[in-house]
Amino acid sequence: MITLDLARCSGCSRCEVNCSFFHSGKIGRSGARIKVVKVEDIGIDYPLVCQQCSECYCTRCPEKAIQIGSLGQIIVSPTLCTACGTCEILCPIGAIELYEEIPLVCDLCGGDPRCIMACTLDAIHYECDVTAAVSLREFKKASRGLGPEEKRLRYATIRSRELRDSWAAGRRG
Amino acid sequence: MLCGYGGHILRVDLTSGWTHREKTDPAYMLNVIGGRGLNSTRLYEELQRDCDPLTPENMLLIGVWPLTGTLLSASAFMTISGKSPPTGILGDSAAGGFFGAELKQAGYDQVLMTGRCQKPSYLYIADDCIEIRDASHLWGKDIWQTTATIRKDLNDNAVQVAAIGPAGENLVKYATVACNNSRMCGRTGMGCLFGSKHLKAVAVRGRGRLTVADSLGYLNLCRELDHKIMTHPEYEKRNSLGSTLLMTALNGIGILPTDHFQQGLCDYVDRVSGETLAEKFKVKNKSCFNCNLHCSRYYLTGEVEAEGPEFETLCSYTSRIGNNNLEFGLKMNAFLNRMGLDSLSSGETIGWAMECVQRGLLTKDDFDGLDFTWGNCQTIEKLLGMIIRREGIGDLFAEGTRSLARHFGKGSAEYAFHVKGLDMICGDPRGIKAFGLTYAIASRGGGHLRAEPFFELTERYDEAERRWGMRDIADRLSDNGKAILVEHTERQALLTDCLTMCKNIGLSMDLLDFDFASRLLTAGTGLKFTPEKVNEALKGIIDRDRKMNIDFGVTAAQDTLPRRFTHEPLKEGASKGQVVPVGRLVKEYYKARGWDAQGVPQD
Repeated sequence: MITLDLARCSGCSRCEVNCSFFHSGKIGRSGARIKVVKVEDIGIDYPLVCQQCSECYCTRCPEKAIQIGSLGQIIVSPTLCTACGTCEILCPIGAIELYEEIPLVCDLCGGDPRCIMACTLDAIHYECDVTAAVSLREFKKASRGLGPEEKRLRYATIRSRELRDSWAAGRRG
Repeated sequence: MLCGYGGHILRVDLTSGWTHREKTDPAYMLNVIGGRGLNSTRLYEELQRDCDPLTPENMLLIGVWPLTGTLLSASAFMTISGKSPPTGILGDSAAGGFFGAELKQAGYDQVLMTGRCQKPSYLYIADDCIEIRDASHLWGKDIWQTTATIRKDLNDNAVQVAAIGPAGENLVKYATVACNNSRMCGRTGMGCLFGSKHLKAVAVRGRGRLTVADSLGYLNLCRELDHKIMTHPEYEKRNSLGSTLLMTALNGIGILPTDHFQQGLCDYVDRVSGETLAEKFKVKNKSCFNCNLHCSRYYLTGEVEAEGPEFETLCSYTSRIGNNNLEFGLKMNAFLNRMGLDSLSSGETIGWAMECVQRGLLTKDDFDGLDFTWGNCQTIEKLLGMIIRREGIGDLFAEGTRSLARHFGKGSAEYAFHVKGLDMICGDPRGIKAFGLTYAIASRGGGHLRAEPFFELTERYDEAERRWGMRDIADRLSDNGKAILVEHTERQALLTDCLTMCKNIGLSMDLLDFDFASRLLTAGTGLKFTPEKVNEALKGIIDRDRKMNIDFGVTAAQDTLPRRFTHEPLKEGASKGQVVPVGRLVKEYYKARGWDAQGVPQD
């Protein structure tokens, strides 16, 4: 899975740009599977990507089009998928989103994620250990009814509290 | 299909709400490239020359370049142009952040606005849906609140907003437009232009994706540039300090504006330097779209938190006005960013008032009882509030230093440091001669960014010999060959602007040359941008800018510097005894540019 050292991220979006380019030859946030959430009023930039959560919410696909691969990555079957959007609704953090009728989610670039290579601040890392699963249960309930962008903002805001506290402690005592 | 470019030009008449999307014409773009070149050519062709900048006839243009929002590092900028409210000549201003890339992803190369909204409004662009929306609830709000409210109203945190604050609404002549809260389009009063059109903001959301013509070739060129940036000798320093590294650097060569350019040495520089800022207040790096330099900084002080400041703001609110309290400077940076007020121009009005009081030309009574002793923080804070609200004496200050000095007279005009009405930047030209020439001839007035001849500071004598056959060009104190350097870097700077790329990388780090740019453009767009074609386009744009400025009333007599820089030598430091022989340099520059003795371009 892709892990984050939040304090290092400057929000440049190089991960996003490279993700989109290497997956489609085109560049744009909508085509990226990792998206940098900018919470500008508190100075936070949060690259958000599939956390391969232990609940595997998106695999509850009614068409059974979503499976987990050997690296722990999400695999969407293009033949089974009907673009119904259930996976997008189920994901509590907005890490899977339909774009042009295709659910876009991190596929770990087959084990060599391009976003990691693109980051020059060493803010994101790839860890191969597929057993180190993260639980997103605490984010699930309140994410109901929110769009992917709102879910991402909510997740980033909550996840950055610790860093914010450390800044305040370091600079304001 | 057209690669690289967004593919559309959007025209909006704010008075009637009429909007029109037209296809970008590749043949036209070959001559203007994009960004600033595209904007100013459009002004040259369509702007009614005698219009008052604040009337609906004035145009407001937002332009991006063919490769903005793509893989290329630092290709984040967008340029806003129009007839400038404070100077009455060509006005434009660029800012980084994420707005430019988003506009491009929405499918646009340029947005042209004319007219005036009946009531406060904002323009919302979501791909091909264009809407002029009510902004009554936003009027009066500061920039940060406005950005947050628009995102909340649209229920989309990824919307990029370029907004004005109360300063723009109240038509302060040097009001700014901000994107991403802290990325300011400052200097030429584009915020005032927004305000005059009752336009609170432009919000944009692009869900499209961009293509480049030759993906692999383009990728390799981008990697080449990435590598050059990462291995540049200044990388570490620029990464940790950004442009604030100049505080110590300029003081070292004796040209750090102190007490309003009375000295080039600041004895408390260590208290207000970029190093101190990084050590005491910085919490992390910030960055523009797709940049690998990450030179901006986020900071927390006891009272405020914000992004920035860049060198010009830091210097304007510390040494230039005699303030040795860094924390106060940082507080003002956050305040100015919220309110949308330009830091250089507001700083210059303050410095001017302080010097006039020091010299006994003006007194407390002239300024509503405000005490303009050097570095008086209470006065500064109070005055800024009055400028933004145009209250009392603030109403005069809101017009800019040139008009302020005209109002008061009594010899105070000698201390109003502007060129063509635009206040001078921080960087005393007496110790950097090519910069001095740049301030004098810059087509938007007293700034360095039209040419940024940073080369003269690098002491690369052999490189100067190789490029121009003159070693002196690499000597900042020499006048020799500086016109040739400026003629060259002016094209390079325009190229960086047309590519809406960051000047720190394109120019100061000297990483962008015409050949590389032409390869990038060709790989990105598939159009035939040969080095010759690019150069021809750049020369054409510089000539058109000049012709337009001549129509606006600019003459050769205005291509000069304030008296202090041409007649009063610096008293101490590494640039002691220097002045700028501006008359001679300007003449040489006209010749190098191929203009006649009056600075008129020859066809």
